[in-house]
Amino acid sequence: MRRNRLYRVLGLALLGFALGVALTQSQQELDPYKEAERQRELFRQTAGILPGELYAAQGEELFYAKRGPRQVSLEACDFGLGPGKLEGALTQLPRYFADTRRVEDLETRIVSCMVRLQGFRLEDIKRDEVKALVAYVASKSSEMPINVVPRTSQEVAMYNLGRELWYHRAGDRDMNCAICHESYAGRKVRLSPVRSPRQGLSNEWPAYRFEADKLYTLQDRIAFCYESIGIRPPVYYSEPYIALSMYMLAEATKGKNRFTEMPGFTR
Amino acid sequence: MKGKRLLFWFVVAVLLGVALSQQSPFQQRVNQAIQSGGPEFQRSMQQDPDQALCSQYRDRLPAELVPAFLERQRKLIKYPADGKLMGDWKKGEELFTNPRKGNCYACHTGDPREAGAGNMGPGLVGYGARGTSEAVVKYTYDKIYNAWASMPCSLMYRAGYHGILSPEDTAHIVAFLLDPASPVNANLKR
Repeated sequence: MRRNRLYRVLGLALLGFALGVALTQSQQELDPYKEAERQRELFRQTAGILPGELYAAQGEELFYAKRGPRQVSLEACDFGLGPGKLEGALTQLPRYFADTRRVEDLETRIVSCMVRLQGFRLEDIKRDEVKALVAYVASKSSEMPINVVPRTSQEVAMYNLGRELWYHRAGDRDMNCAICHESYAGRKVRLSPVRSPRQGLSNEWPAYRFEADKLYTLQDRIAFCYESIGIRPPVYYSEPYIALSMYMLAEATKGKNRFTEMPGFTR
Repeated sequence: MKGKRLLFWFVVAVLLGVALSQQSPFQQRVNQAIQSGGPEFQRSMQQDPDQALCSQYRDRLPAELVPAFLERQRKLIKYPADGKLMGDWKKGEELFTNPRKGNCYACHTGDPREAGAGNMGPGLVGYGARGTSEAVVKYTYDKIYNAWASMPCSLMYRAGYHGILSPEDTAHIVAFLLDPASPVNANLKR
């Protein structure tokens, strides 16, 4: 009788122990940063290369290939530091370009160069090629400090436009960017930690998202955000993206943030 | 002479009226940018007057505007035809969880067994500790149907006003939170 009871207690203790292990175990898996780190290591071990690096390699090939109606490479493309200067180019984008007389982000600038240098028609430019080129150019700004400071009147106007869109509440979920990414920054939507621009929001894009198995540029990420709050996203390369990127990256600059490894690796 | 002066003031008044009814150059610029995002984006970025007010004041409404704002929002609340504000907690659980419906776990805890709940909003485990008095039930219903009727410009969206939850749906979620049999209240001492 006594022995029976002992077994029961032991069994219960064992069950408690197992439950404890199981609970802490699942908690570990639920931390999205740790999970991304784990997934990244698994890619390194099994493939030896990260998907982001593959996209960048593809972009490098496209960058130096003689393409388009004019059969030239993109080496003469000026990202703001001089023709063909890619080192740190992403860190100072978006910025104003005198040749197009527009403020452009990396994606829009690549499209401009494909049109102006290579002679592509806008409607013939493939989104996947732009994304690979974004990955390549971004890879030259890996882990560098973000340095977006609106100076020209056009850049200041674009920053103000971005801030206005940032606070624009709309849709049947009554959302804007600020209410989560400002008022409640530091908390979580489901398991996803939410950061403010000052805390470095936008410093990991372009990135490979293992949950989607796709490369996301900053425009892709903004589009995804709009979709998730019930607003149909803007068309690619349009002003809302450039304005919001300008606002977020200028704020990230004020917060003294760096880019992560580029392209990033995230959930 | 008198006629001339009258005409002068008339012209001033007309010009003032025209000037005031125009959008500011900045607002025009914002609209132009939204338009450049395409017709679908433009359509879904349209605001009702109170969304516009929240945007204008960066989600912090000045105190003098609050009473009228709350009054307008309260008038938007509709109740089930049968007057019952507490429905079926099991239906409520489905609506609470469904990302296309309440999507409440994005920000709130509820059933303590749900591991993936967010924490943007207050946790709701054991919400039923408040009891089921008429006042508690009505407060809970109103909050879910139109969150802006108690807190202007809050993060919580107006699920009933936008038609995402019907009055009956809202009552089911009230039950999920308040019914002693609901898993939300499983940890409460009976």
